[in-house]
Amino acid sequence: MTDQLAARTAVPSCHSDAGGRSAAPGAPVVALAGSPNVGKSTLFNALTGARRQMGNWPGTSVEVGRGSWALGDARVPEVALIDLPGAYSLDPASPDEELTRDLLIGAPPDERPDLVIVTVDAAHLARSLYLVAQVREHALRVVVALTMADIAARRGIHVDAHALGAHLGAPAVDVDPRHRSGRASLGEVVAETLHQPVPVPRPLPEMDLGADMGADLDALDADLALADSRFAWVDEAVRAASRTEATGRSTWSDRIDAVVTSRLWGPLVFLGAMWLVFQVTTTVAAPLQDALDTLFTGPVSEGARRLLGLVGLGGTPVEGFVVNGLIAGVGMLLTFAPLMALMFLLLALLEDSGYLARAAVVTDRLMRSIGLPGRAFLPLVVGFGCNVPAISATRTLPNARHRIMTALLVPLTSCSARLTVYVLMATTFFPRQAGTVVFLMYVLSIALVILLGLALRATLWRRVGDEPLILDLPPYQRPHLRLMADQTWVRLRTFLQTAGGIIVATVTIVWLLQATPAGPGHGSFGDVPAEDSAYAATAMAVAPVFEPAGFGEWRTSSALVVGFVAKEAVISSWAQTFAVSEPSSSDQPGRLGELVRADFERSSGGHGAVAAVAFMVFLLAYTPCVATVATQRREIGLRWTLFGIAVQLAMAWTLAVLVFQVGRVFW
Amino acid sequence: MSTPGPLSAVLAALREGATSLDEVARGTGLARDTVSAAVDHLVRLGRIEASDLAVGCPTGGCGSCASGTETGEAGCGSTPSPRRSGPVLVALSIPRR
Repeated sequence: MTDQLAARTAVPSCHSDAGGRSAAPGAPVVALAGSPNVGKSTLFNALTGARRQMGNWPGTSVEVGRGSWALGDARVPEVALIDLPGAYSLDPASPDEELTRDLLIGAPPDERPDLVIVTVDAAHLARSLYLVAQVREHALRVVVALTMADIAARRGIHVDAHALGAHLGAPAVDVDPRHRSGRASLGEVVAETLHQPVPVPRPLPEMDLGADMGADLDALDADLALADSRFAWVDEAVRAASRTEATGRSTWSDRIDAVVTSRLWGPLVFLGAMWLVFQVTTTVAAPLQDALDTLFTGPVSEGARRLLGLVGLGGTPVEGFVVNGLIAGVGMLLTFAPLMALMFLLLALLEDSGYLARAAVVTDRLMRSIGLPGRAFLPLVVGFGCNVPAISATRTLPNARHRIMTALLVPLTSCSARLTVYVLMATTFFPRQAGTVVFLMYVLSIALVILLGLALRATLWRRVGDEPLILDLPPYQRPHLRLMADQTWVRLRTFLQTAGGIIVATVTIVWLLQATPAGPGHGSFGDVPAEDSAYAATAMAVAPVFEPAGFGEWRTSSALVVGFVAKEAVISSWAQTFAVSEPSSSDQPGRLGELVRADFERSSGGHGAVAAVAFMVFLLAYTPCVATVATQRREIGLRWTLFGIAVQLAMAWTLAVLVFQVGRVFW
Repeated sequence: MSTPGPLSAVLAALREGATSLDEVARGTGLARDTVSAAVDHLVRLGRIEASDLAVGCPTGGCGSCASGTETGEAGCGSTPSPRRSGPVLVALSIPRR
């Protein structure tokens, strides 16, 4: 028992005959070390051929390969080769690295391997050489096996093995284990080195840094200083031994990046790209949208009416619910399917090509220039998809003030549900500039985030700390059609599923309220004029508030009330309300836009287009939906949530009134 | 005073607000590969934190967002795509003194 325990806790030795290696007894032990993915195991297989075995190292769950390697040298015919687990450094961060550390430097000197081959990736010299720096600090014979020279050459990196070896104080040999070349040279060098005395360890850096920086260097600083000195040594070796030529590919990518991430052009390119997305989306999708509209208002509604008539439900409230509610609402949502699909496709194109990563750099820089925390970038980007998970994502911010501030800003990012309303309004009032109008709503959304962020900083939190953020840019690539199509389909499907669910629920509630008389004398349930329903009464009570903004019509304010619940339902409830209140004209395709236009012209005294802009501004800025409010409450508490709702309503109303009152003077 | 090594130089560039590894490489005069290795080492030392940032919507789709997730975890953008094409976000945490 004690022996077992001892065996488990003792520092493992390369010379213990645990598991039985196949080399002759007394053969020198050579350990093969290196970071993961540098071709170490391929090299091991190439060197040992069939004479190897894999298995867990005794007392650990770490797999280690062992075998014999015939060097073909008269003095050293054979060595026992141990394939150590991949390790980036001797400061272990995993059980694999721990075993490598133990085997190389943990055991007493006479039980350590006779020689260590460190596999080094020529394409990533700096990353691979850190381990060499550490191994060289110990009394060990070291040989460097330089792999991946072909990949490095393709990237324009050329490594001179001789110069590298001279700088490292350990011979370096080019090997290509995949093509089994360089094995003989490596064998010769290993045999030769085994005959040399153990080299003097590279002196540890003098910690005179401590004297420079103050005597009280804590352990963390000491670690950093030590690692820094090793990196300086590595950097010198890289400079001495490698030469990088500019390849056409990197210059091409660099040239594009120089423009798309520049401080001046970057934001302009980003805005241009987004403008193009909305322009293409609205222009190309418009005919498809019209065709679907015709389909739902015509054959589908007509078919449903006939079907209900056949089963004796014609002219009943059930017909109203199915045709004016479900078919009008869900049909209206489906007309947006081509538009959403196209937008998702274009965004997938930007994402897959690598451009969206550059856009992230541009927007991050913008945010930091106005003092918003760098990490808040993630929730705000997510917010353009949907505000709910964006607010949940504020949890990643370590600082409570950052969390509250970001959760208050997220609702101003224009989520995809709001897009449907912008498109209807823009195509109705500005048919020729619809894409530009929708694009400008997104620009306004970003502007509002910035303005409210600045206002919160100036008033509530004067000392919100900044946290740097760095983005590593992926290379540009040719977008993959299949991947884009998959992504677009999944996003479209889930959008329709969620929005569909919300719409069916709100359509039902709106229908119930529309079927309920506002009071005695207004009719009975299911037989009440639209203007006398409980729904209209609620909307009419709210409508006067919007008169200064030019859209104080009850049908418009009812859409805004429904929009408080969910923006997905704004258009469907509009369609439903008009179907009930204007039954004769709403069953023609494309009529919803005209009916909305007529309402706006009436309520604004002839300034319909200005009122429409004011309406879109209000819709952008006020509370996005109850789900967002619920999430806000969970994340930042009731008090801040109420504060947020109040600020947003005040801001939305003020902006809408301002837009209408100023706009109608000029237009 | 000894000259700062690559790790200190990279850390200083990050503190000064570099927003990409290329910018760090330009600012420090170090090779891009050395900068990348230095950043990874700083992450190992716990000097900076690295977290994946998937830009745009998740593969699950924006539509799934309206309900959020039961656990309150972020839905959109928080899951890196299987074939990551988005940027890698590294947030720098300043060590306490």
